[in-house]
Amino acid sequence: MSNNSANILDIKNIEVRYDNVILALHDVSLKVPKGKVVALLGANGAGKSTTLKAVSTMLASERGKVTNGSIEYDGNAIDKQTPSQMVGLGMVQVLEGRRCFGHLTVEENIISGAYSRKLSKGDINQELEKIYTYFIRLKERRKSQAAFTSGGEQQMIAVARAMMAKPKMLLLDEPTMGLAPQLVAEIFNIVKELNTKEGVSILLAEQNTNVALKNSDYGYIIETGRVMLDGTAESLLNDDKVKELYLGISKKGRKNFRDVLKEESLTKKRSN
Amino acid sequence: MVDELLFFMEVLVGGLLAGTMYSLVALGFVLIFKASATFNFSQGAMVFFSVLAFCGFMQDFNIPFVLAFILAALLMVVVGLCTERLVLRPLMNASEDTVLMATIGLGYVLEGLAQAAWGVEVRRLDLGIGDFPVPWIADNLKLFISALDITAGFVAAIMIIGLFLLFKYTKIGLGLRAVADDAGAASSIGIPLKHIMLLVWSAAGVVALVAGCMWGARAGVQFALVDLALKALPVLIIGGFSSIPGAIIGGLIIGAVEKVLEVYIGPFFGGAIEGWAPYVLAIFFLLYRPEGLFGEKIIRRV
Repeated sequence: MSNNSANILDIKNIEVRYDNVILALHDVSLKVPKGKVVALLGANGAGKSTTLKAVSTMLASERGKVTNGSIEYDGNAIDKQTPSQMVGLGMVQVLEGRRCFGHLTVEENIISGAYSRKLSKGDINQELEKIYTYFIRLKERRKSQAAFTSGGEQQMIAVARAMMAKPKMLLLDEPTMGLAPQLVAEIFNIVKELNTKEGVSILLAEQNTNVALKNSDYGYIIETGRVMLDGTAESLLNDDKVKELYLGISKKGRKNFRDVLKEESLTKKRSN
Repeated sequence: MVDELLFFMEVLVGGLLAGTMYSLVALGFVLIFKASATFNFSQGAMVFFSVLAFCGFMQDFNIPFVLAFILAALLMVVVGLCTERLVLRPLMNASEDTVLMATIGLGYVLEGLAQAAWGVEVRRLDLGIGDFPVPWIADNLKLFISALDITAGFVAAIMIIGLFLLFKYTKIGLGLRAVADDAGAASSIGIPLKHIMLLVWSAAGVVALVAGCMWGARAGVQFALVDLALKALPVLIIGGFSSIPGAIIGGLIIGAVEKVLEVYIGPFFGGAIEGWAPYVLAIFFLLYRPEGLFGEKIIRRV
């Protein structure tokens, strides 16, 4: 079934529980328009990874479950699919912490991404060469064992591996975690390139608010399992509260949106 | 002096070759441990089940040797299929300990099924290879080495080369190595875990059949084969639970060490030390090198 709507991903009011008890997401709604980069921002434990795993159906392997709301990807409702079926539908998640196959070589890692596709050896090599044009650094290191490559290279391996599955949509979970600023820029350049040249839609979970918004079209900010604010990347970058709470340009001791809302309701009461 | 050296060589070579029989059993454990990080307690039962079925096909139905072997191998693939479907898939997201317990249960089911289908008496398995010294080697090299041991050595070598090629150069082999490194990451890029599980359980089943044939030819096809699993434990502790070369080398070490110790030190203990010497060696490994010689991860206690 093809989808004519403008959104490749449409999450409506999902609630997620782990072990049927721990409520990780209360109410998250978000949309990813086709061909766009959307950033999902928030602190540790806000629910960014949980949201991505709900989409890629990786939740089940952590005993998590979407208990309310709906997720629609490319015109199909997501609920009973397995992760490998989702990959078949063109949705690939790059997990947090790179998760390369340490004992495999760089090239074997990348080739493993094509597992779900029925390709001949020649086709695989062709795809591989195309991938290497984006990840030039990996070509030089193709024969090394992945465990012995640097953090930045491992992140590139993880993205390159996901690209071998020929995704329509990539879910990137904290791709710049623990990387030096220069590498952060390099990774985002590649992500942007994949987005524009390959037409891959991207949903990106990040703590690195500034860089993420500068490389995205739209952003959502979540806190304790709820979407607190959303808007175009530009508007969020210029938003006073975002500046204060996420970009470190702070006025007072406010730490999160809940504090802001509390204060606002207090001032409202006073003015009444 | 020369005679003593020859005798030592004979003990050593005999031990090494006998060790390959341990390697074969250990190989089955490694395959499953690699893919699911679970110590498969039913491996011994799989050895018993497969070789008893093989004997049953030959002796009760008069099916020729080669055909019976193929049938038994296919039966083990079916067992692998059923295990994946009925045991592993429902436990897909359960903890490793749960799966471990399930393999214990599976072992009992296989033992029971095997005896229900083929009876409980000890069967003789004649592979056409005698368990006696090869005359040519005895005459020319003055070494008394059993033909069965030599065959076991060859068979183990072939199995290892075959498995190596399978893992290194095929697509499903790449998938298996990926799952062995990081099952979560493997499923995130669309490697279906169920195919990999099916592959390793079938492969472990066929390896069990081969190991069972070797042991059955030596000791008779009987319930005691189940306890072979225990003999594989020190092999795995020494070689490492997740390494195929480790299983081989570990088997060789155990085989050689237990024979040499039995012959040279055994008399001081009143003999019969080969039953427990491997475990003493294993304890030293657990103390000083718990991941084994080739292990990639810290060993799980089982």
